[in-house]
Amino acid sequence: MVDLWYKENTDFKTIAPAILLLLIGIASVYSATYDAGASIYFNRQVIWAGVGFALMLTIMFIPFRTLQLLSYPLYGGSVLLLIVVLIMGKIVAGSKSWFGIGGFGLQPSEIVKVTTILAVASYLSERQVNLSRWKHVAVTFGFVLLPVVLIVLQPDVGTAIVYLGMSVVIIYWAGATNFLMILLVAPVVAAVATLFGTTAFLIVIATTFVLLFLQRQNWLFAAMAFSFTVMIGISVQYIFGKLAPHQQNRILTFLNPDADPLGAGYNVIQSKIAIGSGGFFGKGFLQGSQTQLNFLPAQWTDFIFCVPSEEFGFIGAFAILLFLTLIMLRGVQIASMVKSRYASLVAIGIVGVFGTHTVINIGMSMGIMPVVGVPLPFLSYGGSNLLTNMIMTGLLLNMYANRKEY
Amino acid sequence: MTEFSDNSPRKFVFYGTVGVVFILFLLRLIQLQVLYGEVYGKKSEENSIRQIARDPIRGLMFDRNGTLVVDNRPSYSVTVTPSEFKIVKIQFLASILSMDTSLLREKINKGIRYNRFAPVKVKRDIDFATLSAIEENREKLPGVDYQVESKRFYPTGAKAAHLYGYTKEISDQQLVEVGSEYRPGDNIGATGLEAAYERYLRGQKGIDLITVNAFGQLLGRYNDGKNDIPVREGNDLNLTLDSKTQALAESLMTDKRGAVVAIDPANGGVIAFVSKPDYDLAQFGSVTPVEVWKELNTDESKPLFNRASLTRYPPGSTFKMVLAAAALEEGVIDPNWRVNCRGVFQFGTRPFHDLHVHGSTNVTEAIQKSCNVFFYQLMLKVGFERWTRYSQEFGFGASTGMDILEENPGLLPSSEFFDRVYGKGRWTQGYLLSLSIGQGEVGVSPIQMANYAATLANKGYYYTPHAVQKIYDRQTKQTIEIPPQVRRVELSEKTWDIIQEGMYRCVNEVGGTGQAAKVQNASACGKTGTAQTPHGKKDHAWFVGFAPKDNPKIAICVLVENAGYGGAFAAPIAGLCMEQYLYGELIREKPLRSIANLLMTNQEDQ
Repeated sequence: MVDLWYKENTDFKTIAPAILLLLIGIASVYSATYDAGASIYFNRQVIWAGVGFALMLTIMFIPFRTLQLLSYPLYGGSVLLLIVVLIMGKIVAGSKSWFGIGGFGLQPSEIVKVTTILAVASYLSERQVNLSRWKHVAVTFGFVLLPVVLIVLQPDVGTAIVYLGMSVVIIYWAGATNFLMILLVAPVVAAVATLFGTTAFLIVIATTFVLLFLQRQNWLFAAMAFSFTVMIGISVQYIFGKLAPHQQNRILTFLNPDADPLGAGYNVIQSKIAIGSGGFFGKGFLQGSQTQLNFLPAQWTDFIFCVPSEEFGFIGAFAILLFLTLIMLRGVQIASMVKSRYASLVAIGIVGVFGTHTVINIGMSMGIMPVVGVPLPFLSYGGSNLLTNMIMTGLLLNMYANRKEY
Repeated sequence: MTEFSDNSPRKFVFYGTVGVVFILFLLRLIQLQVLYGEVYGKKSEENSIRQIARDPIRGLMFDRNGTLVVDNRPSYSVTVTPSEFKIVKIQFLASILSMDTSLLREKINKGIRYNRFAPVKVKRDIDFATLSAIEENREKLPGVDYQVESKRFYPTGAKAAHLYGYTKEISDQQLVEVGSEYRPGDNIGATGLEAAYERYLRGQKGIDLITVNAFGQLLGRYNDGKNDIPVREGNDLNLTLDSKTQALAESLMTDKRGAVVAIDPANGGVIAFVSKPDYDLAQFGSVTPVEVWKELNTDESKPLFNRASLTRYPPGSTFKMVLAAAALEEGVIDPNWRVNCRGVFQFGTRPFHDLHVHGSTNVTEAIQKSCNVFFYQLMLKVGFERWTRYSQEFGFGASTGMDILEENPGLLPSSEFFDRVYGKGRWTQGYLLSLSIGQGEVGVSPIQMANYAATLANKGYYYTPHAVQKIYDRQTKQTIEIPPQVRRVELSEKTWDIIQEGMYRCVNEVGGTGQAAKVQNASACGKTGTAQTPHGKKDHAWFVGFAPKDNPKIAICVLVENAGYGGAFAAPIAGLCMEQYLYGELIREKPLRSIANLLMTNQEDQ
């Protein structure tokens, strides 16, 4: 009755949009790097997709218990890789985040996302762990902050932001109190708001105050949390001054992309033109002038969303948005239906990673988010990222297949 | 801790968050792609399609015999594309171009500020050796290239600088005035025919639409060139100029100041138009070096100044025919009326002198011998008002309307003018005596005088002088004739005959002042003038005349500033020019001894 098992335990609601996205991604990479024929990028991406698909299926069939037992060792091993890459990695685009292995590059920070999810899920599913205890919160954050610190050192701010987005999602799902969530989110919101001006900052401060008051928690903590938020907001201007000029530019450009159209704002202006000029039906495959004439920098990696948006228009862009959303909704559904607490946390962590990537990447391409270099799941060129996405899809499938296990 | 299957409130927070983000992104997508799709579509086209202006080839000029006199030659300009150029090579490039490194750097920086992906001209009109050096070092100098432009070339010996004129880079003010047809850096006619016929010579710019990539690199033609606007070449001008006569006149005027203007009496076409000192238009070919400009502008002899039509000189005795015409036509005298010239005319207490004692003189002899006493007396009989009126008839005191558009209308005094300048009743008839022999306030230009000679030659057809007779349209392959404009000076045949007889004798008979203008078998007619100048400088030498007497082919005016007698310095030049034009070459065996000193340059040059 193998057939029946397949029917029962294979989650086509996850596989279908993933495969479709993968195909759109391959076509987009083909177009983005097209130069009188298929490019080496396209060939590699096809190989990665094949390997990734195999990996996805493999992971789906790893016994659930084994996975859980392997969580800590995998985490430890991958963090070690991060340390090694810092010491002897090669520098690509100003960041020391790559291993060179026989012509292919490997980016440990990608795979560490998965092992971190596994480790945090493993820890939070232990019986005695309770997020209402500060010690356990601290340990949880320890798991996340260790790789984040190593990644920021590379430096790769985009990936670090993804970790933070992911951990907020897991902690919330794991049952963190609203008070803790405010404590975590308010300083970040305050920091961003400061960049928009004093009024925005004051609104955030006031909201934080009201929310903290409504929680009626420990007043001392509340007061501390509030002061912390205010302090963060005030010190952001100071930190901003300490940022590397290209990072400052990216932030300022996000606030006003037209200020420096050939400099920092160039990427966003060109990507908006690419997406907008696609219109409803698109310019046709390989017919996008923005794509084919290289007006988009990094159009096969971070700005890949522009390629199908230009060539397939609103229909193409809508399809990508829809499939990504379907995967995420399915992820939340799986997280809700599985019996195992561990499985549920892994699933929701994966949703957090996909979600953060998607929001930052597409938001950036459409000019509603600052330019932060993170790849778009399933579409962006890059082996490490694509394999990681396929591994995460495999994990979702695994959780679904083992949904009745405790 | 509860099971997650019971985690419904938080589940809905997730569903809600995902849903809200999805809707927000969807709205943004609709905004970009559906609502503003067309706007962005246009922007993407502008991104990748560049307009490359193609300069038209400026129209050529041919002389009356079809000889090409103003041509175009390629001129090479070195360009640097800053984005591709390696700044460490700047010293090397500067040495190849033999220009200052800092100047080169300044030009490149200017280009960077404008658009670092676009080539910027760093040196124009380079010589062949520099071009070869650039070509040889192409590999070592990425981003360095050259552009071909065209510059004017003058294949004949006729320089005709003031007639042809030159083109100049358009000024910011002109750009505002002439509007969209020009762009910064374009050349526009600045003087002479280049300026007057700018809209014919210029042609129309073409626009090539090309596709470029994000780096501004040329990828190919847009839509296979179907949307390109083709270049329309400029129209050619067929001049009335005779380049050989022009060249001869220029050589005869070497090292002199003055002008020679020759006109075809049959239609007003300008045969020669010389202003000296002049300058070499070839130096103005595409871009004038600053040194050349400075030199020309500071030169005390003002070589840029057009003496043929922008000046105002006293005409001297050449003006006497006006008074003779007025007197004869108004019946003030008859041809036999005589004056006994004793070499001086006493008017009140003031003596008015003549050069010679001419004895008993009639009007014909007075023109022949240039008798001042005769014309002093005639002026008193004719009166101011009639003199002014006849002068106007012959075109004085007003621009001739020549197509070169650079003219000084001169000055023709009238009693109203004197009243205004000196006050009513504060000037005497004595002032008129000076005017009668072309002295005093009256001021004329050589073009006016040449046209006056032409009108005397053709007996009263005052043509508007013009240098262009036909325009050849290269697009329609049609030639447009420009019809001559004419006005009659109505005098009786008898009057014309008497004046012409005097002018004939002036050149061809013993006692005539203009015998140096004699042309073999051509019955040349003329009148000399020796105009006094203020400040004790030497007199201006004048000659106006025409040939042959019957069916005249050429009328001429020669002016040599501060040379002396018109008969000695201006008449021989006129004679040689008329001979050249009538016979197509100089036929006299050797130049007359009296004018040998005028031929400063070798005739073999012509």
